[in-house]
Amino acid sequence: MEMNRNRFMQAAAAGTLLAALRARAEENAVLAARKDPDQLNIALIGAGAQGRILTESCLRIPGIRFVAVCDIWSYSQRYAERYLKKYGHDVAVYENYQEMLANEKGKLDAVLVASPDWMHAEHANACLEAGLHVYCEKEMSNSLEKAASMVRTARATGRLLQIGHQRRSNPRYIHAIEKLIHEEALLGRVTHATAQWNRAKTEDLGWPDQYEIDAATLDKYGYDSMTQFRNWRWYKKYGGGPIVDLGSHQIDLFEWVWGVNPSSVIASGGIDYYPHHEWYDNVLCIYEYETPAGMARAFYETLTTTGHRGFSEAFRGENGTIEIAEVPQRGNAVLREAHAPDWMPYVERGLLKAVSAPIQQSSTRNVAVDVRVTAEAGKWPLPIELAKPAHQPHLENFFNAIRYGTPLNCPGESGYETAVSVLAVNRAVATNQKIEFNPSDFHV
Amino acid sequence: MNRMIVFTVAALVAGGAVAEEMAKLELQLPAPQFAGTPKTIKTPNLEREAVVPEIMVPAGTANVAAGKPVTSSDDFPVIGELEYLTDSDKEGSDGSYIELGPELQWVQIDLGEAKTLYAIALWHYHAQARAYRDVIIQVSDDAGFAGNVQTLFNNDHDNSSGLGAGKDKEYIETYMGKLIDAKGAKGRYVRLYSNGSTGSDMNHYIEVEVFGK
Repeated sequence: MEMNRNRFMQAAAAGTLLAALRARAEENAVLAARKDPDQLNIALIGAGAQGRILTESCLRIPGIRFVAVCDIWSYSQRYAERYLKKYGHDVAVYENYQEMLANEKGKLDAVLVASPDWMHAEHANACLEAGLHVYCEKEMSNSLEKAASMVRTARATGRLLQIGHQRRSNPRYIHAIEKLIHEEALLGRVTHATAQWNRAKTEDLGWPDQYEIDAATLDKYGYDSMTQFRNWRWYKKYGGGPIVDLGSHQIDLFEWVWGVNPSSVIASGGIDYYPHHEWYDNVLCIYEYETPAGMARAFYETLTTTGHRGFSEAFRGENGTIEIAEVPQRGNAVLREAHAPDWMPYVERGLLKAVSAPIQQSSTRNVAVDVRVTAEAGKWPLPIELAKPAHQPHLENFFNAIRYGTPLNCPGESGYETAVSVLAVNRAVATNQKIEFNPSDFHV
Repeated sequence: MNRMIVFTVAALVAGGAVAEEMAKLELQLPAPQFAGTPKTIKTPNLEREAVVPEIMVPAGTANVAAGKPVTSSDDFPVIGELEYLTDSDKEGSDGSYIELGPELQWVQIDLGEAKTLYAIALWHYHAQARAYRDVIIQVSDDAGFAGNVQTLFNNDHDNSSGLGAGKDKEYIETYMGKLIDAKGAKGRYVRLYSNGSTGSDMNHYIEVEVFGK
């Protein structure tokens, strides 16, 4: 297939720029470990499950002081206030973010936004306009218009906007993608990628009776019911469904690996198991990427009725495949094709481990081998470990950017590109049509 | 309500052998509730395979902890209430668990009077696969656990708790909880220690059942 050269050059230029901007993991870790860094005062908007994960990681980073917490639910307010108290952080607690900013913005350097997707833009834009740097959870928004407004506000205010695609700061992923795939070309031409995030069936989230939010308060903040407030990810008004909640993290990697945005996506899915939900409970999709080396394709699936295969990613090249996952036990190795060049030099340079040797000729003696089957590739483990919570390096990168001016690993512009790719999947399912992207779709 | 399958077996009592009804203890389990993103479980003392012991208990054995008062080393829990431990609600969702602060913490159940104990069932947290550290379960007649302390379970392999090293294994939390043979220990107070988990520095409890009479 002949490539659209202009499209490729535009996308490649953007990808190269982002790669150049991306701070090295080693630099990130060294800066984050500096003694007696300037104290940064921060607030949290949205103290639910994701807000708690960010809080836990921030408490491990030197020089970070929580000043305020905002959440509309008293259960989460109590949780955050007392949790932080255990670590010596006395915080002011707010239900209304505008009140928080009015009272606290003079004390704050940055805000973590971990509210439901549909409120990200309102919260992030208000914080940026108040002169504060913002770390915002992905997805940027369930609306591209709102996501674009965040990019524009960050530019207009000159404040930092980091989007929470935390794999971009994970040293294991940086090693696999930037070192092994980009610099060393270990896999040769990467022709395909596959990824999945599957979860076992689950009940809707409930809530303790004594912490039920009254109807007037729910209405004030735009929620139709307590059920929808607690399970907002399944409803179109508030979120984007599993392809956004789960898929976004991994689809973001495809663009990182190939350095270009997708040219198209086809998808199938449906509301097939949880009829009371509004978003698709299973989605399978295929992206096309017009790379400098030729066409590449990526398959992604997210299922919510079976946990089989859990979550992991595979980047498949002519000389081998990298299997990787945020939890190393689910993927942390490179599989070498039998015809690939010798990889021992990579082991000698510390870029790979050679624990699981490739199958040797002698190992198949007296064993019936079906000659139509290619010998299983040997597994070469990745040598990098992350001895921190998965979100910590990305937060460190954000705080390093504030303190030392190091580039963000996922600025708003990058988060927007991924949002364009991911939100299109829901449109592809709804219309049952192939979505063709224009390069301009990815730029604000 | 927990079920007991009744058998008649010979049991030795003072003076000779008499027939006593024994029953296999079977726990009433909550709905499974793994959710969210799993975390890496990296801990040196983890059991290779979960084994649920088969525990026979005398007829009339009941959960003597149900509704009993609970105290704790942490009087300012992050979320939840101490009453949750003995309220018979074993679900894993918000509103069913209490979260205590980091480092070594304990909870203690006052059974009201000394009981003979045959089994203890424990659910720390089962919305995520994780292993709690320094899980130690003791029984005593002394509310301060200053004397006559019997240890029923101890997976603190390196004595990081300072209460003595134990030989039990760490285990992964699931909706099935952890069933421990109390082997007829006697006491009024049951105390349970823990020191965070592979998933969090905090200490959680959903329910503790104490089977005795």
